[in-house]
Formats: sequence, C-alpha cells, structure tokens
Amino acid sequence: MKILLIEDDREAASYLIQALDESGHVSHHASDGETGYAMASSMDYDVLIVDRMLPRRDGLSIIESLRAEDNHTPVLILSALGEVDDRVTGLRAGGDDYLVKPYAFTELLARIEVLARRATPAEAATQLQVADLSLDRLSRKVEREGETILLQPREFRLLEYLMKNAGKVVTRTMLLENVWDYHFDPQTNVIDVHMSRLRGKIDKGHANPLLHTIRGAGYMIRE
Amino acid sequence: MFRLAQLWRTTTVRLTALFMLIFVVFAIGLLALISWQTSTQLQQQQADAIDRETAQLIRIDSDAGFRATIVAVERLSRQPGPGLYYLADPSGQMIVGNIDDLPPEVLAEPGTFSFNYARPRPLLDEADVSALGTAVVRSSRLESGLILVVGRDVVERRGFTALIFRWFAIGVGGILLLSMLAGVLTAVRVLRRIDTIASTSRKIMSGDLSERIPVTRRNDEFDGLATSLNQMLDRIEQLMVGLKEVTDNVAHDLKTPLTRLRNQAEAALRDDKSEAARRAALEETIEESDRLIRTFNALLLIARAEAGTPPGALADVDLSAVVGDVAELYAPVAEDDGITLETRIAEGVRVNANRELLGQALVNLVENALKYSQPTDAQPGRIEVALQREAGRVLISVADNGAGIAEVDRKRVVERFVRLEKSRTEPGSGLGLSLVNAITRMHGGTFRIEDNAPGVRAVIELPAA
Repeated sequence: MKILLIEDDREAASYLIQALDESGHVSHHASDGETGYAMASSMDYDVLIVDRMLPRRDGLSIIESLRAEDNHTPVLILSALGEVDDRVTGLRAGGDDYLVKPYAFTELLARIEVLARRATPAEAATQLQVADLSLDRLSRKVEREGETILLQPREFRLLEYLMKNAGKVVTRTMLLENVWDYHFDPQTNVIDVHMSRLRGKIDKGHANPLLHTIRGAGYMIRE
Repeated sequence: MFRLAQLWRTTTVRLTALFMLIFVVFAIGLLALISWQTSTQLQQQQADAIDRETAQLIRIDSDAGFRATIVAVERLSRQPGPGLYYLADPSGQMIVGNIDDLPPEVLAEPGTFSFNYARPRPLLDEADVSALGTAVVRSSRLESGLILVVGRDVVERRGFTALIFRWFAIGVGGILLLSMLAGVLTAVRVLRRIDTIASTSRKIMSGDLSERIPVTRRNDEFDGLATSLNQMLDRIEQLMVGLKEVTDNVAHDLKTPLTRLRNQAEAALRDDKSEAARRAALEETIEESDRLIRTFNALLLIARAEAGTPPGALADVDLSAVVGDVAELYAPVAEDDGITLETRIAEGVRVNANRELLGQALVNLVENALKYSQPTDAQPGRIEVALQREAGRVLISVADNGAGIAEVDRKRVVERFVRLEKSRTEPGSGLGLSLVNAITRMHGGTFRIEDNAPGVRAVIELPAA
C-alpha cells in the first residue's frame, strides 16, 4: 500500500514511517500542510494519514480541497482533539476515519488497512464468503458447511463487519464504532465477551477455527 | 478620620447639598409669596378699617351733629394703637386729633393720601419705632362742614412682615443646619461601611480567603450586599478548596502510575533480563500508559462537561435506543459473571442530549454495578437498567444488589478521584461517577445515588425534551 503521512512532529513521523515500512507499506512523509497538499494532489496514494493541526495549512482544509478536486483517496485524521464534536467536524470535512492521539500503532495500522479496502467493490457485495462460512446480507442468512447458524441481530452485524474485512485486523474500538456506533471508552472486556459468544456459534464443532484473536491488536476472520 | 474632600466626594453629601439648594430657593420663593400676600391683606384690612371708621363718624355727624362728632373723634384719638385721627373746621384749623402736621393737600379736598409724618407719640408701645412714620389717611367732608381725616400708621404692617421674615429665617436656617448634619452623618456612616468592605476585600486579595465582610443586625442594603458578597466568597473558597483537592488527587493518581511506568521501563532496560521478560515488561508499560491515557481522557471529559454546553451541541436523541444498546452491550458480560441484567425501558423516550456522552455515562454506571455486585450462591447478582418518564422528567437508573454504599459516602463518591477504601484495590480511575455527575449536570439534570437495600440505585434525572 502507498501511504502519505502528513504530520509535523518529526519524531512521531519517523517512528510511524518506520513501523509502516516494517508492515510492508510504502510511505511518504510531508511535514507541513502545503507540502502535504501538493504531494497528495499530484501523486496517487492508497491512504492519506493527516494530522489535524499542521504548520502552514491545517489538516481539515487539505481534505476539503482534495474532495473539492474530486480526489477520493481515503483519509484517516489524526488529532489530539478527541471530543465528539471534533470527530464530527473531521468526518464532515471529508475524512473517512478519525483517530485520537495518543493511539496504538496496531490501531492505526488496522484502520488504514480497512480504509484502503473500503475503496474496493467488496463493500457492495451481497454475499460474503470466508472458507466454508457464508453470509447473505439480503436474506440475513448465515451458513457454515451448509448448516444454518442462528445469530442475534447484533451478532449478525458483528460477523458482517468482520467478514467484510476478512483477512484484516479489526480492533475492539473499530468494532464498537462500527457495530454499535458508539465512540465511548469501555473499561472492561465487553467486546471480548461478544466475540467469544460469536466464536461459540460459528467455530464450535469445526476443525479449523475462522475467528482469530490477534494478540495486542484485535480480531481477524480468515481461512 | 474622614477628610472634608473625601466627604464632599460622597454621593450622600452631594445630594444633601443639592437638596438644600433647592430647598432654599423654594423657601425664598414661598417667603416672598407669603409676605406679599400678607402685606396686601393687611393693607386691605387697614383700608377697610379706615373706611368703616370714616363711615361711622359721618353717620354720627349727620345723626347727632358736629358736637357728637368731636366727642367721638377725641375718644378715638386717645386710644393707643396705629389709628390716626384729625378733625378740622372748614378752614382747616385743627379741632381735635392725634396728628398735627398734615400736608395741606389732605385738607384741600377729600381723598386717600399716603405721607411721612413726625410721630407724635410712641406707637404700639414698641421702643424701636423711629420718629418718622408713614401714614395712610382718608379725608372727607362732613355734613356739618368739618373736615375729617381718618388713617393708620403703617408701622403695624411693616412690623408684622418683619416678624414673618425673622421666624422664616430661623426656620430655614435650622432646617439647613439639620439636613447638612444628617447628610454628613449618613455619608460618614456609608463611608465607614464601604471602608469595611474595601479593607476586607484587600485582605482577601492578599490571600486570606477565609476573611468575610461583617454583617450587622440592621439588615439594611449594606447587609444585603455584604451577605451576597460573602456568599460569593464562600463559593469561591469552595472552588479553590475543590481545585486544591483536585490538584492533590491528580498529583497522586497520575504520579503513581507515571512512577510505575518509569520503574517498568527501567526494569526492562536492565541487562539481566531474558528476551521474554523484557517483552513482558514493555507490554506492561504500554498497558500502564493506556490506563494513564484513560484517566486523562476522563479528566478532560469532566472538565469539558463541567464547562457547560455550547449552544447547538445537543441534539434530539432516542434515549430508549441508547439505554437499550448499552444494556444489550453488557448483557453477555453480566451473564458470564453470573449476574442477571434486567431492563425496564420505556419506549420512544427522546431527550435533547449528546448521545455519546450519555452513552458513556450509562456505560460507567453499568460497569460500576457489575464491578461491585458480588453474587453469592445464597444471593444471585441482579442488575436492573431502567428508563422511565415521570412528570416532565426522565429517569435513567441502574440498580444492583451488591454491597452498597454507606449513606455517608453516597454524596462523596460522586466527587472526583474519590474511591472508597474497599475499592482502592479494584482497577479504575475513581473518575467514573464524577464523569456521570458532570455529564448529567451538563444536560441540566441531577445525579444521585439511592439505597436499593441491598445495593445501590444510581439515578440520572434529566428534564424531558
């Protein structure tokens, strides 16, 4: 994946670039708003990571200009401003996701990988398939090895989100945001409990588990 | 003590002076009016008296002849008082009377005259009348051919006017003196009260927040002001104490994990560590910093919620859905812990709120209930999440049947960083309930903790949309 990072904190940026390189991505760095905007509009990137407060030009105005030019590269906004309203303004400006500093690198990585995926047609597919597990988004039917699995509505949405992002790590906060549509901060392992329920329904009695816990990061569904 | 310039600057003294000026102008006008009125009236009375006596004497003359007239005039002339009489034969030769030097024109023809004359005798027994008097007289011809002159010495009139003036002056002077005195006394009193307030505020500014403005028992406007100011000072002192407490708590609750963090990092750097141990130590470090970030976030959120709501920050929220979502989110967790989570949620309750923050508040309450429910075999854990409408209000409540909170502590747990001793060992920042409290207040509601016997019931009361 080709990633552009627009971030003025050099130390944070060099750490991020290095970590992204280690995860197998190609990343460029711009340390101010003007340079970042010039690079984003002249080159093709899969994902942009944009800090909100930048010298010379602020992050939101870069995103607005890009969107006005019909550039729809997915954007992840990084910000120290974490209030609900700040998130809303960020997403309204054209950002696709919003991550509050300080964040875990695994969280950032999971989010940009899901963002890059969003641009592909898998988003619109009505039938999701992972190995012998299939999910029909229209009839809301889930089957494994031809056997119907009965899921609660929320469990269905949980599985749907995981399967839509099959092969990618999804973090607990991503699940809370996308499945429950809340951005608050649960102190307990509430998501893990839901995942173990789901795992009990789809993996129990099958030789090869599909739902995997990724230590220190989140969950992934894959063959 | 109070200099004159300082007194003159006071509103009271200035107002007193202004009122005095207005009063003097008014009094002078009134005096002029009264004296003019009086003198006109006296003049009229004298003229009437002169006419009456003249008419009487004319009747005596025509009825009883000139001898009776002479007797009557002589009797009148001898009476003390301002009356002036003169009876002359047709040639102008004086027969009887009490003035002698009449101007010749008075005798020449009938009419009314006013002239100065030498007073022949003391008038009205007053010592201070001058020798020269002013007379008003009327002369007439009698049937018998005699010339009659009846008049009055106007000294009587003048004396009366002077008398009025004198008493008026004394009265006005007295009033001026008294009002000036009253004004100065009031000003001194006001200045003294204000000086007290000023000196108290100087003491407070120099750092003694416990200082208060003395309140007298007079219950006047100054006492009203002092009471309000003292209430304001109470509030400020309370906030300052609160702030100090918060800083102390922040220092403790943030420094402790920061110290742990530092120790873990140091331990990880030590050479004698195996690769696995080093890794574990670093993971510990990350977990510790995540906890710190949580605490920071909660503090920021509280500060933000306590600062109040910017207009337009609240939106129409389906509260029934939010409460349902949170209950559903935590139902499996409760079940795993052997706790039944029941819901009693009224349908279609909408409020003007911030969905995320209310959700966070509710999550905090449910997590607390889960944390402090200690189910035993004898008593299974039970949590009830309820949403109900009640007379213009909306009540969100989370009740558990756990160990409960002693009555004395129920108010305290809502405060920042307060963690009851028995829960010190549990994970958590001690900010959960204060965040709930701040969020509730931001929505114009109240948050309280009630006894659920056993356990507690946390209630968020919001105004209905």
